[in-house]
Amino acid sequence: MFAYITRRILVSILTIVAASFLMYTLTAVSGDPLEELRASNAINKEELIQRRIDLLNLDIPPVLRWFHWLGGVGGCLVPFAFECTLGNSVEGFSVAQLLPPAMASTVRLVTVATVLAIILGVAVGMITALRQNSAFDISITFLSFFLYSLPSFLIAVLLKEFGAIGFNNFIARGDPPQIGLFWVIAITLLSAIVWAMLLGGDARKRIITFVSAGVATAGALIYINVTDFFRVPHLGPVLLFLLIGLTVVGMTALTANLKNRRALLAAGIAGAVAYICYFALQGLFNVSSMWTLMILAVGAIAGSMLIGWIVSLFGPDKGQVIRAATFTGFFASSFVVLDRFMQAWPAYINHPRINGRPMATAQASTTGYTADIWGTGLDQLMHFLLPTISLTLISFAFYTRFARAGLLEVFNQDYIRTARAKGLSEHTIVMRHAFRNMLIPLTTIIAADVGTLLGGALITERVFAIAGMGRMFDVGLQKLDLNPIMGYFLVIAILAIAFNFIADLMYAVLDPRVRVK
Amino acid sequence: MSTRFKSSRKFSATIAASAAAALVLAGCTTNGGGDGDDNGDDTTSGTVTIATTNAANSLNGATSDHNLNTNGMIDYITGNGWGSSGPGTFLNTRANADAEIESNRDETNGSFELVSEDPLTVEYTLNENAVWSDGTEMSVDDMLLTWVINSGWFAGEDADGEPASYFSLAGSTAGLDTTDFPEIDREARSLTITYDEPYVDWELVNMLGKPAHVFADQVDMTAEELTDFFTDAEPGYNEDETLEAIGSFFNNGYAITEMPSDEGLLVAAGPYVVSDFQANDGGYIEFSANPNWQGDAPGVDTLIISFIGDASTQIQQLANGEVDIIEPQADANTVQTLESNGAEIITGDQLSYDHVDLSFRGVFEDERIRQAFLHTIPRQAILDSIVTPTNPEAQILNSQMYVPSNGDDYVAATSENGYEMFDEPDIEAAQELLNGETPEVRILYAADNPNRVNAFRLIQQSAEEAGFVIVDEGDPEWSPRLGSEDYDAAIFGWISPGVGFASLPQIWQTGGGGNYNNYSNSDIDALVDESQTLIEDPERMLEIMTEIDTITREDGYGVPLFQSPGLVAHNGTVDGILYNPNQTGVIHNILEWSL
Repeated sequence: MFAYITRRILVSILTIVAASFLMYTLTAVSGDPLEELRASNAINKEELIQRRIDLLNLDIPPVLRWFHWLGGVGGCLVPFAFECTLGNSVEGFSVAQLLPPAMASTVRLVTVATVLAIILGVAVGMITALRQNSAFDISITFLSFFLYSLPSFLIAVLLKEFGAIGFNNFIARGDPPQIGLFWVIAITLLSAIVWAMLLGGDARKRIITFVSAGVATAGALIYINVTDFFRVPHLGPVLLFLLIGLTVVGMTALTANLKNRRALLAAGIAGAVAYICYFALQGLFNVSSMWTLMILAVGAIAGSMLIGWIVSLFGPDKGQVIRAATFTGFFASSFVVLDRFMQAWPAYINHPRINGRPMATAQASTTGYTADIWGTGLDQLMHFLLPTISLTLISFAFYTRFARAGLLEVFNQDYIRTARAKGLSEHTIVMRHAFRNMLIPLTTIIAADVGTLLGGALITERVFAIAGMGRMFDVGLQKLDLNPIMGYFLVIAILAIAFNFIADLMYAVLDPRVRVK
Repeated sequence: MSTRFKSSRKFSATIAASAAAALVLAGCTTNGGGDGDDNGDDTTSGTVTIATTNAANSLNGATSDHNLNTNGMIDYITGNGWGSSGPGTFLNTRANADAEIESNRDETNGSFELVSEDPLTVEYTLNENAVWSDGTEMSVDDMLLTWVINSGWFAGEDADGEPASYFSLAGSTAGLDTTDFPEIDREARSLTITYDEPYVDWELVNMLGKPAHVFADQVDMTAEELTDFFTDAEPGYNEDETLEAIGSFFNNGYAITEMPSDEGLLVAAGPYVVSDFQANDGGYIEFSANPNWQGDAPGVDTLIISFIGDASTQIQQLANGEVDIIEPQADANTVQTLESNGAEIITGDQLSYDHVDLSFRGVFEDERIRQAFLHTIPRQAILDSIVTPTNPEAQILNSQMYVPSNGDDYVAATSENGYEMFDEPDIEAAQELLNGETPEVRILYAADNPNRVNAFRLIQQSAEEAGFVIVDEGDPEWSPRLGSEDYDAAIFGWISPGVGFASLPQIWQTGGGGNYNNYSNSDIDALVDESQTLIEDPERMLEIMTEIDTITREDGYGVPLFQSPGLVAHNGTVDGILYNPNQTGVIHNILEWSL
């Protein structure tokens, strides 16, 4: 094992060095960094050209210049002994100083999208596999291939046109903004059909699902229309009470069983505490900072666990009870926080910098907008919503296909047949036997994805004007600014190799048939 | 039992932890309702947001590393007098309502006058009430600092005999490099400089840049001590430590990757002060009104320049009301999208223009062949295919000396220089001149620029009709090949300075740095030399420029093609927007804007 790891690390270093050489020389010969100066008619042109040659060592051929660069990077491996430098950009900024903020905004942009894509993709992929060749399966297959083939800039531009400009026009138009009758009917039908297909079952069950989903959707849409929900969204004591009640029941059913009285009691207490906190904490919310909310979140989870633990002392099924309380506490308090965000919404959209048009088409925040944590939180949400959706849609397709194929393959295995023959319930077969084995190849994919995560989304970052890693690479390439490009390359290469390595190790852990030699 | 015990210990530990958390929680709040009130308070009644392509990276665009148009905009509205100088400096370069570039004297903070023409002596005087944005009075120290930086007084040679200077200027020291150390009159707040040689662009020399007291702070001096130091220091480059420190502050001290904590960097002489900044694409720079501004109060309280690299993003931001004004790259597609979005559009010409130059080295040594080739260039067709879709009113550019943004001078020059004879190709005339010969012409152009490729195709077609054999030398790496012998004609662009004449020798004089075509004519050399010594003589200058234009046309130097189209689009919230052809862009008349 140790020998294997050592060997892999050494090979990885050699790979990075060789790849960096290719990257450096190819980029260096791909254009002329002096072009703009040559075409200028400045009086001191020669002097300017000379100065840039000196700054970037352009008089040294690229191959030798690469050694120079490698020397600076090598210094980082031997701290204190040598100077560690990733070089400077054309404007004289140190690359080591440019990388962290770019990495931070990329992480902010890509993480949520990746997690969402994985969860949604795997879930939907599994459902389509379970309903293989049904109308639902075919629709999802169509949709995922359609999204997969859409260029990301097109998705982005369409999202902005309809999701931002269209939505804002909608909000600004009516008083209050009204969803038209046509759309109410269309959305109701769509939601009814999707739910009916999703839950499946026999004709009677489908009809029941269809009708109840339709009624619920239509009711919600009418409520939104009547209460001016888009401009004054709210949960309030009543809706919040209903939501928390549903959460208590739903979470108990999911984590334990509704017949498990103690689980229901624990979840109920956790929900009640959250509901009381809704009244008790408004004063604190008004003066909250980022850290207050963090502590409250930790407190909410810890408190719910505590409630679950105390209740669980009075009988068996300790784990189920604690889980029911914890999940309920988490979601119920999320609703309380959501309500507070909703309270901040009217002030947000009426702020002169927002001017009644909340959904943003670009940038990471509204320029010149300052507010408390709720206002800035909403502002962030309004800016990251569309890019996150656009990134999720693209990789969602991939995970759906992968999960579907994976689950179908596992279903054909002998041990599944054995499990069925043994008379296990379908739920147990899918969740315990099939799902877990399907996840093994998925680990490799996810590890590789996390590795490239920091590469940023070049096009999405450009179109949404977010200064992440992709943008840094893009700008560097346009200016033929070698050092930032190489800084980008280093980060990507190291992460890709590291995560591939981790995936290999994980494989050995997850799958007993694989041995690391 | 033991479980019990452990549990109760866990229990009390949890209680203790929550008590601690509550304490921390109390500490982690913001101060009360203040924040809630702020929500409505900083309602900036007059905020205008502009999108621009490049992200600013320095509050000093005068250095060679940070010579970027967005940095130039910052300089312009904060009253930094180098480059295209803004309001609050001695001279304000901007465009008028006809999109013609003008340089107007701006007496908000001071004035200058010509004391004598021979030797050329100019006196700069600051007003008594002139103050920097931080309240410090402006003084002769500030003007002297500007002179020191721009004159190259402390430039020379390093130990290896290479040219060296403490200040990495984007501009050149030409002009001021012939001046003696200025005479300073502290009481009268005046500084007088005397040129050894006449300098044609003396009026464009600005003596108000960065504040001396901020520079002096860097070397632990007062502004007065700094002046004394400059006065006593040996001229030339002597690796002096103090000057190194000042030079390095000038070169890199103003480079920013976040809102600087050192308020000294923000001290401004112009109508606005930088009040917030976020680097990189998607970031922005915010300006607030300068509380100590002595001129008329601007009609816009807050200006935000957002950095949006992608043109389609700018257009959608405008449609969504996130920005009020954009200046995207002009092309037919953009215009169409903007029109369908209901944006208000102002089109105009930029100062950059494309032209065809003939190299006087190979096949074009023969004037007859040059004339024949020029007769084949379909200038109207090139304009129609490249510029007209964006700007239907665009006209062929008919002068190598002036652009229409120069106003009457352009009209006067084009009425005499005779370029209109090349408006339409004259294949017959070309064939007559060629007399059956089929000379081979290698044309160099930027293969990755669609406009140049387009122009090349049209020229190729037309020239082949007349009997020329055209060799396609299109190359993405075209620029290093300029001035070499492996092409006969080149299609590329210049950027007209808009104002000033100091760059004439560059292109037109024998051996000039931008004279890639080996062009040499002693009459032109003499005219260019004369032009550089003219002081306050616009009539003679116009004569000279028209004459150079005419002679180079007769010599078959080449032809100008068209000016690149430019475009401003806005959503109608701001009144008083004027098109500006130069790099400062639309903010040039911000003081006249209102909401």
